[in-house]
Amino acid sequence: MALYQYSWTILFAPLLSFVVIIFGTRMWDLASRHRTAVSPAGAAHGHEDGHDHDGHGDGHAAHGLDDDDDPKVARLSMGARVSAYLGIIIMLASCIYSWVLLLDSTGVLHISGSPLSYSGTDVFSYNWGSAGFLAPYVISFHVDHLAIAMLVVVTTISLLVQFYSQGYMENSAGFARFFSYLSLFTFSMLLIVFAANFLVIFVGWEMVGLSSYLLIGFWINKREKPVEDRPQPAMAAMQAFIVNRIGDVGFVIGIMILFWKTNTFDFATLGGSSSQGVHAAFAGNTTLLTIAMILVFCGAIGKSAQVPLQIWLPNAMEGPTPVSALIHAATMVAAGVYMVARTFPLFLASGATAFEVVAWIGTITALYAALVALTQTDFKRVLAYSTVSQLGYMFVGLGIAGAGDPSLGAGPGMFHLFTHAFFKALLFLCAGSVIHNLHHATHEEVQDMRKMGGLAKFMPITAIAYFVASLAICGFPFFAGFYSKDTIIGLAHTTGFNIIYWLTLATAGLTAFYMFRAYIVAFGGKDGKLFGFWGGTYRGVGTPKEAPLTITIPLCLLMVACVAAGYWFGLFSYLTPGAVDLSFQDIITDGLTWIGVAVAFGGIFVAWLFYGPALGWDKVNRVVENNAVLRFLNRLTLHKFYLDDLYYWLTQYVFLGIAHIAAAFDATVIDGIVNGVASGVTGLGKGLRRVEDGKVQSYMYGFFGGVAALAVVIFVLFAFAQGGVKLW
Amino acid sequence: MHPTLTHFLVLGAVLFCIGLYGALAKRNAIAILMGIEIMLNAVNITMVAFSFYNPVKPYSTFLTGQIFAIFIITVAAAEAAVALAMIIAIYRKRNTVDVGEINLMKW
Repeated sequence: MALYQYSWTILFAPLLSFVVIIFGTRMWDLASRHRTAVSPAGAAHGHEDGHDHDGHGDGHAAHGLDDDDDPKVARLSMGARVSAYLGIIIMLASCIYSWVLLLDSTGVLHISGSPLSYSGTDVFSYNWGSAGFLAPYVISFHVDHLAIAMLVVVTTISLLVQFYSQGYMENSAGFARFFSYLSLFTFSMLLIVFAANFLVIFVGWEMVGLSSYLLIGFWINKREKPVEDRPQPAMAAMQAFIVNRIGDVGFVIGIMILFWKTNTFDFATLGGSSSQGVHAAFAGNTTLLTIAMILVFCGAIGKSAQVPLQIWLPNAMEGPTPVSALIHAATMVAAGVYMVARTFPLFLASGATAFEVVAWIGTITALYAALVALTQTDFKRVLAYSTVSQLGYMFVGLGIAGAGDPSLGAGPGMFHLFTHAFFKALLFLCAGSVIHNLHHATHEEVQDMRKMGGLAKFMPITAIAYFVASLAICGFPFFAGFYSKDTIIGLAHTTGFNIIYWLTLATAGLTAFYMFRAYIVAFGGKDGKLFGFWGGTYRGVGTPKEAPLTITIPLCLLMVACVAAGYWFGLFSYLTPGAVDLSFQDIITDGLTWIGVAVAFGGIFVAWLFYGPALGWDKVNRVVENNAVLRFLNRLTLHKFYLDDLYYWLTQYVFLGIAHIAAAFDATVIDGIVNGVASGVTGLGKGLRRVEDGKVQSYMYGFFGGVAALAVVIFVLFAFAQGGVKLW
Repeated sequence: MHPTLTHFLVLGAVLFCIGLYGALAKRNAIAILMGIEIMLNAVNITMVAFSFYNPVKPYSTFLTGQIFAIFIITVAAAEAAVALAMIIAIYRKRNTVDVGEINLMKW
């Protein structure tokens, strides 16, 4: 068991690299940069008029240091490089350890001698105090099969993203800082993965929020780009943070309800059969438990960007692309799904209602995001909505498994999380590669697909990787998404959630359409080879080149993972004892699978028809613009069904209005009372000061006045004490 | 009409009020001093009257009040001497005995 007992080192390794980078190698980087900063900054200055790009021109360009990301300026000092190497090496060690744990616990390797049981093992536990009322407040880490499956995803994606960032961020200011944040992000997520109780998961939950805030707003000097409908990174970071807090309100209240009834935070105790378990504590009151679990799910809605709190994730695209990959694949949005999987027994104890809520929120989100993704022109935004949509699938997987077939456990949802992590990371890293290469070619930050086109002939590895990942996400047979997504869709059918089945099936078609729309528009084109899938007219400027090895190596590795991740058929029984595993035989002989595949093919075909050699972007656009109904639908999805605008309006007028009223109340009434007391006392003092005028005579007035008054009082009191006033 | 305790007490009260008025209302330090002397003597009258008309043993040689009055006269003489000396000293320095003008220590 020693193998598992030391698994907390995986958790603390990224924290170590964060601390060492932020206080050590980053300082080294800054110190060495300070001496040499003048020359590269001055050199950048000379080029500034030529590429007054991405909004930070004007006053900012006057001093070149404010350019966050500039391909003409190499920012890598020795300290920065060492920061990156440190982060990568430590993450590599964590990753290898995670894989060893996975292989050992699945029984492939036999290192520990005794494989981990389903209940897992506590690896670290610290109690705040021995007093009885402090007993529930434990910092405790736990490793079990679910944690190990997640561990592998988080460390692998983090490793690849850190490796990739060496190339992607080479021209960015704050290179060392970026790596320290990446490590902090991984540490936060691992805290959630290792959490044995709600307290620790909540700490990790908030730290993930903090890390995402730091990373989304990484380019601190970048401005808003209203023409492309892209917010300022700092604002996007703020939005991500605040929207997550809204979900967290529900999360905290849910935890408090559970704690109120059971007096424990521990997952194992809550799910167990003791008197502190939810079964016993909420006996006869499952409605309250259902409410608590739905509130807990609110946290997942915020963190995993489900409707109605989906708005922050697409705006989080303003962060550097490796961060997007990390957020979307492993660290941030997966936290919500993981949390629901972790609390699966509690959801189960509350009955089917909470699971149905999960499934329906997932379905609505999947459909909504897929519809919005149809018309987005921003390369990364398509992927962002596709993530929102795929997260919806994961929640559908968790929800219908819980409501329809609890013996499967969190398997279907976690399976999709597992496969999705790899192909979504690949998609984002490809998008990052494209943006990086176009940045070098055009000296602009190009994310609009209309300025791409035919990129396959310039960057074949990126194109192939993107193509493979697209196939995986569409559920093309024998790629990873084929197994995980069709499992969920098929499960919806077999468990009798027919509406969810049809909606998720339709979403699968939409997914295939928007993914291949993005692929053909960016990498292929009307006049491309291989039926428009390869090359074609490039609509931008300059000549893009293929990315450096630091970028292409992770792409190639992930391409393999995109296929291989789908073949972990033992996952269901690995996570849940007694769950029926997927079998290759069943999948390929099941008619439902091929219906799903047919729908996906339909989506791909329509995308090819619209944007391939047959019609092309311009012609489709012309048809849509000339037809009132189509134009209306196009606008509707392009503007995200005006949900963002609705939220903006609500914030601007309703919430800010309430805030202004509250502020006015504060300024007038509250401050009035406080200032009134203060000025009253001051005025009283000013008046009383006159009394002490230094003239003995005026003191005597007071003295004799007081004596006279006292005399009257005593006289009256005596008179009453003797039963009435008898003056003479 | 034989004088009673009330007559003496009223006399004492009237004299005290006259003295109090003088001490409170006058600006001249000498006049204030005189007011204070009048108040002291008003108290003396009251003391002697109470002593003379004491209910335990009236018209007796029970002399507590009288002795007290002599003490007060002694102390008042000393007080008058000190006060007049101060007033003269202040007059030499400031050329005034108006208490409204003597305000160097005021806030």
